[in-house]
Amino acid sequence: MAARLSLGSQRLVIVTGKGGVGKTTVAAALARAASAAGRRTLAVEVGNGRLAPLLGADTLASEPVRIAPTLSAARIEPEDALADFVDGVLRFRLLSRRLLGSTSFQILAAAAPGLTELLVLNKVHAWLEARRLRRPLYDLIVLDAPASGHSLPLLSAPRTLGAFARLGPIAELLRTLGGMLADRSTTLVLLVTTPEELAVRETIELHAELAGRERLPLGPPIVNAMPERRFSPRDVELFDGPGDHPWLIAARFLVERRREAESQLGALRRELGSAVVRLPFLWTPPDDPASLEPLAEGLATAAGLAA
Amino acid sequence: MTPLRRTLEEGRIVLCVGHGGVGKTTITAALATWAARRGRRTAVLTVDPAQRLKDTLGLGRGDGPRRVSLGGLGARAGHLDAYLLDVKRTFDELIVALAAPEQARTILENRLYQNLSGSLAGTAEYMAVERVYRLAHEGGYDLVVVDTPPARHAVDFLDAPRRLLALLESRVFGILKDPTTILPAGGSRLARFVLDAVLSGLERFTGIGLVREVGDFVRAIDTLSGALTARIRAVQATLAGAGTSLVLVAAPEPRLVSETGELVEALGRTGLRIGGIVVNRSLPRALFEHPADVTPLDGLPPALTARLRRGYEDMQALAARQEAVLAPLVAKAKAPVVGRVPLMAAGPGSLAELAAIGAHLFPEADEPAVRARGLGQ
Repeated sequence: MAARLSLGSQRLVIVTGKGGVGKTTVAAALARAASAAGRRTLAVEVGNGRLAPLLGADTLASEPVRIAPTLSAARIEPEDALADFVDGVLRFRLLSRRLLGSTSFQILAAAAPGLTELLVLNKVHAWLEARRLRRPLYDLIVLDAPASGHSLPLLSAPRTLGAFARLGPIAELLRTLGGMLADRSTTLVLLVTTPEELAVRETIELHAELAGRERLPLGPPIVNAMPERRFSPRDVELFDGPGDHPWLIAARFLVERRREAESQLGALRRELGSAVVRLPFLWTPPDDPASLEPLAEGLATAAGLAA
Repeated sequence: MTPLRRTLEEGRIVLCVGHGGVGKTTITAALATWAARRGRRTAVLTVDPAQRLKDTLGLGRGDGPRRVSLGGLGARAGHLDAYLLDVKRTFDELIVALAAPEQARTILENRLYQNLSGSLAGTAEYMAVERVYRLAHEGGYDLVVVDTPPARHAVDFLDAPRRLLALLESRVFGILKDPTTILPAGGSRLARFVLDAVLSGLERFTGIGLVREVGDFVRAIDTLSGALTARIRAVQATLAGAGTSLVLVAAPEPRLVSETGELVEALGRTGLRIGGIVVNRSLPRALFEHPADVTPLDGLPPALTARLRRGYEDMQALAARQEAVLAPLVAKAKAPVVGRVPLMAAGPGSLAELAAIGAHLFPEADEPAVRARGLGQ
């Protein structure tokens, strides 16, 4: 039962998940798949991550760099986004630098829940709206969002900050960004997990939070690093039993790992009531575009992206 | 006797640090269970346990304590109490303990305090340390085993007292009470005027009345900075004391090792020493111990034999890669690997499984009741 990850009109895909589940890998693979299918794609990471090598870029900067004809990538540094914002408000660069450097301002930023996150979303929104010759500059933006503990503030920023700012330009911005996130025809939020207990549990919690309270458009969960089935039940009957031959130890390990992964997959399906997209476990961790290919293919199939 | 075992048997506090996803909480609970079974009155403080571990420790809502029943594990006189960290409540209790009743109420009711007590960088970490301090000094325990919070760098936890002190002692309070102090001494009246205008403009523009509210909050909390400073110093001394031991939990997976390496570097900068490393989620030993040219298996269909061989070879390559990524980490941490815990199919669902992890870590200890077992073994 494979899920369809229908990428129809959506132009913003936000990829998140527990730290270490391969969130960045999935974001990179999706960006490559979309780009290979001819969509002009912009991949964006927040903070200093591992996106650049996976896309075949040397480094990423705050302005998009073109990696291939249909693939660009950028990095948003939350602190820079805050600095840009303050510069824009103050128009005295020297004074705003001074202000940003002061601990008091950092406390202010920390105390305004969601301000930094809001500014990150604002940059993404600007790219989404960017046009050249009256057509959008990018067909699709893939945002490698912070790990789930930090992505909730990002995705709930318009609402949490809205409680503080009801009027004025910020309130206006909040409505625009909140609208962008909640619009099913624009945005798709993808939760990445591995078929392991802790990651699955966190995914279920985050799913409830994002689909319920935040009312965001969620796609089917992406189960990354799914171990393949190497031995049939009949094989297992043949070699099961006592014996400490290293081949058998390895085989038992593979069988048990697959069994555990399947049971976690089942738990995820039951809890969310939806099918999932599976991506295979790669024996060599992907570190460049070529090694990402199996995942990009899997995502292209699930998303109906024709090559 | 390994240094880790000595701390568990004789020390006061064991702090488990490690990057998220390495199974730190499980190892924390297993170490606490082991110590309790060796006769120590033990508290385990966890931050965000998985549901199964919560169930195992009997933790529901609230922050405990729950007395964990060790019956059936042949426990001697010790016992195990499990606590769940509640950051907000710990902060509230600290304020109540240090402030006069009237002050305490002012602070607790401040809207910013309510936000800040959860979101100000380092608060969660400091409150975890605060909780440890209270358990160790007032809880009546021999040993407190602590799972550090899932901070971006767990070092924030250990560094929390110092950073909070720096905050109290810095000019920040002055700045917040009077923002113009960020101007150079004797700044011109014009500069002051501009800054004032800018700050109030910022407030108007954002529609957020935060600058003033931060000021109110800081003035209120400033009145207890003396008491708070004394408390933080005491907590700091406890962390750096001889009775405290740091255990680094690592998992031999490339993505986790590189992040654990960053943590080790950051720990080095705080001056706290790692007492030992526990390697969690290790692959079956057989994959490391046998040479590649093992004698083939007989008596099975050739196609299956070929697949068995391939599975073994893939696993061995994986094991070799894991060892290769782990070695530099161990060198960097300048601490011995005190134990390896095999990869388990699932998080521990019973005390017996927690005890089994203890048996892996201290195989030399006399533990006939518990059998060490991991995935594929």
